[in-house]
Amino acid sequence: MDLKEQTVTKVDFKVQEVRLLTPSTYVLRFNRNNLSFKAGQYIRVGIPGNRQRREYSIYSGENDDFMEILVKEVIEGDISKKLKRMKEGDSLIVEGPFGFFNLNPTDVPTRKFYFFASGTGISPFHSYVKSYPAMNYTLIHGIKFIEETYEKEHYEDKRYISCTSRDEKGDFSGRVTKIIPIYPFEDDALFYLCGNSDMVYDVYNLLADRGVSTDNIFTEVYF
Amino acid sequence: MKRTIAFKTLGCRLNQYETEALASQFSRNEYDVVEFEKPADVYVVNACTVTNQSDQKTRTFVNHASKLKHKPMVVVMGCMSPEQQKIFSDNSAITYLIDNEKKSGVFQLIDAHFKGELVEKEQLTADRFNYELTDPLFHTRSFIKIQDGCDNFCTYCIIPMVRGMAVSRPVDEIMDNIRQAVSNGYKEIVITGVNISRYYYEDVHFEDLIEQILNMPEDFRLRISSMEPDELNDKFISLMSHPKFCPHLHLCIQSGSDRILIKMNRMYTMPTYLKLVEKIKQANPLFNLTTDIMVGFPGENGADFEETAKVAREVGFSHIHTFKYSKRTGTRADRMPEQVPEPVKSQRSEVIRKIAEENRIAYFHKLLGMEQTILVEKIKNGRAQGYGEYYVPVKFAASNNVKENDLIKVKLTGIEECEDAFMIGEVIGF
Ligand SMILES: Cc1cc2nc3c(=O)[nH]c(=O)nc-3n(C[C@H](O)[C@H](O)[C@H](O)COP(=O)(O)OP(=O)(O)OC[C@H]3O[C@@H](n4cnc5c(N)ncnc54)[C@H](O)[C@@H]3O)c2cc1C
Ligand code: SF4
Repeated sequence: MDLKEQTVTKVDFKVQEVRLLTPSTYVLRFNRNNLSFKAGQYIRVGIPGNRQRREYSIYSGENDDFMEILVKEVIEGDISKKLKRMKEGDSLIVEGPFGFFNLNPTDVPTRKFYFFASGTGISPFHSYVKSYPAMNYTLIHGIKFIEETYEKEHYEDKRYISCTSRDEKGDFSGRVTKIIPIYPFEDDALFYLCGNSDMVYDVYNLLADRGVSTDNIFTEVYF
Repeated sequence: MKRTIAFKTLGCRLNQYETEALASQFSRNEYDVVEFEKPADVYVVNACTVTNQSDQKTRTFVNHASKLKHKPMVVVMGCMSPEQQKIFSDNSAITYLIDNEKKSGVFQLIDAHFKGELVEKEQLTADRFNYELTDPLFHTRSFIKIQDGCDNFCTYCIIPMVRGMAVSRPVDEIMDNIRQAVSNGYKEIVITGVNISRYYYEDVHFEDLIEQILNMPEDFRLRISSMEPDELNDKFISLMSHPKFCPHLHLCIQSGSDRILIKMNRMYTMPTYLKLVEKIKQANPLFNLTTDIMVGFPGENGADFEETAKVAREVGFSHIHTFKYSKRTGTRADRMPEQVPEPVKSQRSEVIRKIAEENRIAYFHKLLGMEQTILVEKIKNGRAQGYGEYYVPVKFAASNNVKENDLIKVKLTGIEECEDAFMIGEVIGF
């Protein structure tokens, strides 16, 4: 019987690099190992000998020959701390890919996209942009401090808007929610929201209040 | 001498269906299927791990069977967390430990064991659909499994981790299964699976499959079991007016608060759910909607719960399966802060239970005077009982020529308001 089994648990993943972007946030790179995925999907990552798994959006592009995830170390957390201490050659367990936070390829050349991210919620958008560099998007990134603009040089200047809530150094000062009532969004744009549930909920409601059809809003929640 | 076998099933309808299919296979092959409490040669526990409590219950039944003095064969199968698997694999009284992939081969394994043939469980084919039809002994309806697994990853649910990712059954196999069920005398087909609206096999989506089933020439009516509301489109709604389609859906809502739905990682919001309900009610104002509601999800505050209660009243679900959120190790919700205290959960659950009761009676009133074709499930003391197309329980005075599994036309004439309220019918035809 030809069943479409979509899950894979693979063990032959080896860390290639841990790239620190801030004292607490890093990009973990490991070998691709033939894992095929669609930009926007996530994987479950674990450490050999530990039953715990955590979900991470894929940060790298569909065509990269390596895999990357962008992780923020959670002080009271577990796996995010352990992954940060990994060294080149260490083994990882990876399950997936999972999730439906994808782009519709037919929309990519024709539609305008707005991406709303909080913190490491920028990760799937990084993967979209690396996979489809010609897409027409604006990325609105909610962070606390200007140091958290994680690799903003990977996006065209005019397409990346930082919203800093704890300093005044961003392109916009305040939470991402503050920008919504004043920003001139196109009526038929597509909106992708990713990050903590409070941000996703607030932005979702504000967009709906502005008259955006909820069919055009897509969400991914981290915690 | 006939061998005896006893089953204990924990958890969901799918587990129940799978046990019944296996039990039918044993009884067709000269085994006596007996109750779990009775002496038997084999005890099979079909495990569930959906809550920490289900793990506990599974262990209780397994321990009971494995401590029996006559040293029966003990088989544990189904959904188990890795921790549970470890405990069972260390228990030498357990003869076989079988996962969901290979569960359909349990008959082959046990029968070979008694015949002295050597079949290793590793030799069993991994096939989540290879179940024989259930005997009418268990049900008047035939459950047809169309898919297994789920990759929605709702944050409270362990199923994707234990049942695996969504897998769909080939269309031809489903059709063959239905034809066989109808030729065995079944009059009602129930489509079942873990997350059936995600059905997708070689470009056939869920609604395409349902269309093909409805257009089969065989004589039966079609019921859809519990489903998720996120993949239902206009084509599916248009199929609801097909004469074979039973106008009832169990459309899981879980919460009426978008804030909580987002935390649960449900794939819909309240406006989209309500839009769907509106379309269904436009197509058929009497369409029967039932649902699942989970109270006390982490972070659910009074206002969130009020929204749930409001939606429960407004949609008028005629039955609500209410459950209190319980922590499940290995899920995302287990790691969430703001867990709701148990007494608050109980109080919210009670509120929903009352709403459900009121809704049910109100819905029954709308059906009074209507004709329904009842599939008779049981006859007791001259009274037959069963369900009509709208899936409300109906009882009626049965003459001697009414038998189980008959389809009887009744007019709905009354309502019996008791704990398990039902409608009363008068026979108007066969
Ligand atoms: C679909 C999905 C994709 C995800 N993708 C990413 C990603 O790309 N990058 C990433 O860093 N995380 C991501 N996460 C979160 C990640 O899975 C872990 O929850 C996180 O790394 C913390 O794990 P931990 O074991 O260290 O702490 P845990 O013991 O799991 O958590 C401790 C506490 O921290 C909270 N928490 C989780 N993440 C954060 C955070 N970023 N900031 C503050 N508090 C947090 C949790 O709710 C919990 O209360 C994703 C989650 C999901 C569901
Ligand atoms: S849809 Fe959600 S609740 Fe249902 S099986 Fe899938 S993950 Fe579990």
